[in-house]
Amino acid sequence: MIASLTREDRGAAILITTLGVLVGLLMTAGGWGDLLAVHGVIVMLFCGGLFLLVALNLNAPEPGDERLAAYYDDPTRVGVLLALVWAVVGMAMGVWVAALLAWPDLRFDAAWSSFGRLRPVHTSGVIFGFGGNALIATSFHIMQRTSRARMPGQVAPWFVLLGFNLFCVVAASGYLMGITQSKEYAEPEWYADIWLVVVWVMYFGLYVRTLARRNEPHIYVANWYYLAFILVMAVLHIVNNMAVPVSFGGFKSYSAFGGVQDAMTQWWYGHNAVAFFLTSGFLGMLYYFLPKRAERPIYSYRLSILSFWGITFFYIWVGSHHLLYTALPQWVQTLGVTFSVMLLVPSWASAGNALMTLNGAWHKVRDDATLRFMMVAAIFYGLSTFEGSFMSIPPVNSLSHYTDWTIGHVHSGAMGWVALISFGSIYALTPLLWRRETMYSWQAVEWHFWLALSGTVIYVFAMWNSGLTQGLMWRTYVAGGTLRYSFLESLVAMHGYYIARAFGGLLFLIGAIIALWNVVMTIRRVPAHVPALDYPTGSEAFEPAVPVMPAE
Amino acid sequence: MDRLAVGELALDHPIEARNIERVVRMSSASAEAMRTEIRVNDQGIGCIRLALTNLRCGGCVATIERVLSARADVAAARVNLTLSQLVITLPRLDTDLAPIIEALAALGFPAVPVDSGDVSGMETGAAQEGSVSKNLIRALAVAGFGAANIMALSVGSWAGADGITRSSFQWLSAAIAVPVVLYSGRPFFASAWSALHAGRVNMDVPIALAVGLTLLLSLFETLNGGAHVFFDAAVTLLFFLLGGRTLDHLMRDRARSAITGLARLAARGASVRQTDGNLVWTTIDKVAPGAVVAIGPGERIPVDCCIIDGMTDLDRALVTGESVSVPARPGDNLEAGTLNLTGTIAARVLRAASESFLAQIITMQGAAEATRGRYIRIADRAARLYAPFVHIAALLTFIGWLVATEGDWRRAIFVAISVLIITCPCALGLAVPVAHVVAAGKLLRMGILMKDGSALERLAEIDSTVFDKTGTLTTGTPTISAGPIGAADCAGAMALATASGHPAAQAIARYLDCQPGTVADVDELPGNGIAGRVDGRPARLGRASWVGEIATVPAGADGPLFGFAGEPTVAFALSETLRPGALGAIEALRAGGLRVAMLSGDAAPRVDRIATALGIGEAMNEASPAAKIAWLERRRGEGRRVLMVGDGLNDAPALAAAHVSMAPASASDAGRTAADFIILRDGLEAVPEAWQTARATARIVRQNFIAAFGYNIVTIPLAVAGLVTPLMAALAMSASSVVVIANALRLNGGARPKAAGA
Amino acid sequence: MSILAILIPVALGLGVIGLVVFFWTVQDGQYDDLAGDAERILFDDDTPLMPPCDTVLGAATKDRSPL
Repeated sequence: MIASLTREDRGAAILITTLGVLVGLLMTAGGWGDLLAVHGVIVMLFCGGLFLLVALNLNAPEPGDERLAAYYDDPTRVGVLLALVWAVVGMAMGVWVAALLAWPDLRFDAAWSSFGRLRPVHTSGVIFGFGGNALIATSFHIMQRTSRARMPGQVAPWFVLLGFNLFCVVAASGYLMGITQSKEYAEPEWYADIWLVVVWVMYFGLYVRTLARRNEPHIYVANWYYLAFILVMAVLHIVNNMAVPVSFGGFKSYSAFGGVQDAMTQWWYGHNAVAFFLTSGFLGMLYYFLPKRAERPIYSYRLSILSFWGITFFYIWVGSHHLLYTALPQWVQTLGVTFSVMLLVPSWASAGNALMTLNGAWHKVRDDATLRFMMVAAIFYGLSTFEGSFMSIPPVNSLSHYTDWTIGHVHSGAMGWVALISFGSIYALTPLLWRRETMYSWQAVEWHFWLALSGTVIYVFAMWNSGLTQGLMWRTYVAGGTLRYSFLESLVAMHGYYIARAFGGLLFLIGAIIALWNVVMTIRRVPAHVPALDYPTGSEAFEPAVPVMPAE
Repeated sequence: MDRLAVGELALDHPIEARNIERVVRMSSASAEAMRTEIRVNDQGIGCIRLALTNLRCGGCVATIERVLSARADVAAARVNLTLSQLVITLPRLDTDLAPIIEALAALGFPAVPVDSGDVSGMETGAAQEGSVSKNLIRALAVAGFGAANIMALSVGSWAGADGITRSSFQWLSAAIAVPVVLYSGRPFFASAWSALHAGRVNMDVPIALAVGLTLLLSLFETLNGGAHVFFDAAVTLLFFLLGGRTLDHLMRDRARSAITGLARLAARGASVRQTDGNLVWTTIDKVAPGAVVAIGPGERIPVDCCIIDGMTDLDRALVTGESVSVPARPGDNLEAGTLNLTGTIAARVLRAASESFLAQIITMQGAAEATRGRYIRIADRAARLYAPFVHIAALLTFIGWLVATEGDWRRAIFVAISVLIITCPCALGLAVPVAHVVAAGKLLRMGILMKDGSALERLAEIDSTVFDKTGTLTTGTPTISAGPIGAADCAGAMALATASGHPAAQAIARYLDCQPGTVADVDELPGNGIAGRVDGRPARLGRASWVGEIATVPAGADGPLFGFAGEPTVAFALSETLRPGALGAIEALRAGGLRVAMLSGDAAPRVDRIATALGIGEAMNEASPAAKIAWLERRRGEGRRVLMVGDGLNDAPALAAAHVSMAPASASDAGRTAADFIILRDGLEAVPEAWQTARATARIVRQNFIAAFGYNIVTIPLAVAGLVTPLMAALAMSASSVVVIANALRLNGGARPKAAGA
Repeated sequence: MSILAILIPVALGLGVIGLVVFFWTVQDGQYDDLAGDAERILFDDDTPLMPPCDTVLGAATKDRSPL
């Protein structure tokens, strides 16, 4: 990989990693006695490791200019692998914390392994670690392919990918140490936030520069979804993480906002993170990989553009539906409810568009597990957006708020939509990316699909049941006007559901492990083959999994 | 049908070999003439825009672009699947286009250059700043942005925000609404102003009033700290109205740029022989009577002229509609626009191009179109009555409330504005265009291009159809039949037939299925045929009497013959080929209750033969363009509404004179410009299908009107009674628009056909 | 709800950026061939196009060097 970097690239890499080590040193020295120093050490190790990687290979032969006639796929490959690794790590943490709820002794009496510290390792691990790397990797692939142009540089993509992973590592390690802002999906502290802004600006610049040098005049719609994801996340991230550090030598900071203002900001961010990170970005993935795999164009390209603009305009105001029945002013709550309901229209337009694309190709869905991942993802997208709109209506929310139903909703979206589309895209991408004839084992893909689907279904059903149980128990009154059930009683009633939930998550985790294994084996064992055509390739015995249909 | 394999890809749909030839031949022009179609941009790079037929799938796009880009004489090629067009960037301005067009035809995509005289045909993305559609889209986007954001603020206010929050929301809404209305409302304000200026009232007057008054009143309330403002109503109203208008324009743009401006029938210039004997290419307006022009095989006659040297065969279908070629010799007069087939001739110009026969046809066509312009679209007819009604209703409401509340003018204006908004023709404005857009899309998937919505309305009203014969009911390429042929005769006929450029000879060559013999001393004699020595023996293929000079010809022989010297001849019978689906189409139309007739410029025997084959009772033969128009006028006088289907070779004015008209894509340019619908595929099934779609659309439009009016009837009393706030009015109006759109989408119904995506 | 003093301008600002970008796409002709553009991602070749001299009439020739 270093061999594909030019001398200037390697020089730049040395410079950047050296700067990184120095910053780490500064953090360590300046933060001595504070947990900031630990992070300083981590930064030094991370950057130092990369420094060594480049330095030891500094004199490897330089690549020729013929590389400029091909796409630059090294960062994409590493990104795919990192996404899978984070998937396993993040989901393993998820199973652990789910198990903790049923069996608290799994904490082993340590501080770092308490529920409060492990949970964000799970959420950040799957959202940013798995999802973020999947987005970055697929975006690198899509922006080059749809522009028919190689990306403009070789250092920038590595900076984005590895810098982002540094952010994830700092975040996860920080949680274990107890470093958190306590803002959902925005837990990392001020220094990590600043670093993410730097990485993100580079990401946006890289994307725009690639589009600017496109040889295909039309910018495919998937790129717009990715660009919205990058730009809006940057803005959201900056506003929500406005904080004042106690001192520059310590990790601790205080939010610039307080009370209900802070709550509104957090959920304005939080829900838009769902909208633009977990929806817009992955819709970009869907709009590229699903038609590619199905070998049919998007059913209505015009509709995909319309729903892009619809989502962009409507999503921004739904955040307050997380704060119904709180101290937030009533009219702000109503505003959130109204837009949450209206949001259903562009969301279902996208889901419908994806499914109609498959109309006439259902036999491919039956035979090809990779395509089936994408189809089921689209279905879950429709389901969870409906569920979300439904749950944001005040009467429904009065039952569901603070219950496990919310968790169930999150996971039907995260497992059913986000994870499945990511896995589908990775399976579609892997043989092409590594120039392999086929995936190592198509049966393993099938296994993964059924494990993932059953894991999701078990999880979501468990949470629907537990959530409704909680909600109903908490609002049951006796004749005298007091509560019928104590909180403890409702907790005890959860036990069975929590076991089921952990089991569902376990199935999902096993699927992810299989995926990682399958991809690694594909890289190592499957014979190299430069495909003449960018078709989805074979099943067992190197025969096509789906018959190759002539273009219609 | 053949499948052509191109590189690694096999094209999935059949390629009509005979069509390729016919289209290339009919659109052929000399190298110089083609070169005038090349446009040069400000970087000095040359491009040419071609219209393609047979383009249906993504694989086609990939094939064309890849094959063309690989050629040395092409710098880049880009296909526009939506418009069925191709833009080729040329490395040099003097590139010969003929091999490129042949390559395209060989791939299965006959192409003709787009007329450079038509500016709208050459617009591209970068240069389309001033075009109406793009301005409308921008106005729509601004209105949408304004509507979404003001709606957010107004929901907040409506949900209970008060005090300083409420007033700051009002100010913010005002700050957004004013620029949005000024920018996006321009089309309506401008149109209303010009109507009022001319002393008329059109639909845009009440719209402009409603939007303007709402805005002004809301501004007044904002400045004075009033409780309610209605910026959302004004902007949402604009958004939906613009939506309808934009849809209408987009549809018209698409049809217009796809079919107008195809290579003109009229030559752009001619090769004029100078006093020193050299030939100089001169533009047509400078070719004076008395000059001598040279015309090669495959070129169109540029001006009315008289042959002074050389012999040839002519395709005179422009004048007579005849399907057989006609020989011409020195002394014969030629009409501009007819096609020179086989020989090179020199001719003296008789009259200027502007006075030629072709020019007369174009003038006739223009006159006929003017009469059709009297047809007023349904929507406009509705608008004439509606606008005054709206104004009167609002005014009366205002006065009524002013009196009833004893001078509370604020309340009176609110109610009047609500009435104006609720009566605003949002659904009405959408009712027709949205149905037409959906219908246009459906027709395009069926392979039919629609020029504009009025064509669809007119098609739904027809009670009779009339067809041209040659090129419409028939394909214009003859079918050959013959008795049993011996091997030697077959080889001989094949050898001579393949050596000739005459369409009849080419048809014979396709019919014969044997190896050609070796041929020498070939001599093609226009008007007679082709002679040569095949395997050493003299032979002739051509006219009966001429072949009879060397071979034995049976008495009463008709049609081309082949014979070796001293041997009995072999006779070939030429008959016309019916277009695929012609019989089925005629029967479908008759089953639907339409009368079917045929008008042709060809001779009686051929006309009767086709009429009998298709079961058409009423057939007129040897009809000149003027006679066809007269026939149509008589029918119009009888109160009948006629659909004319023709390829416009000698009936372009008739296409314009009929109530509504269709032409096949292979039609002449005059035909394509005059017709309301273009049939992109080969078969005639498109005719009854288009008619059914037009009727379904008319039904949907009626339903939409009922819905729109019904909504008005219910809501106007409510508004007059003061029970509706402007916001509710705007929302109700939006809901009715959604209903109308959803109803129009029903036209698509059923499984989506396998074609290029919407 | 003083936080709206930040949130509303930010949301409006993002909306305006979106609008400006939309104007650019219209002017650049991004929507001129929606049917063809939906098909283009399905083309088989997996190599970048070499930069042509110009593919669109009237568009300025951009600097197309590979790096």
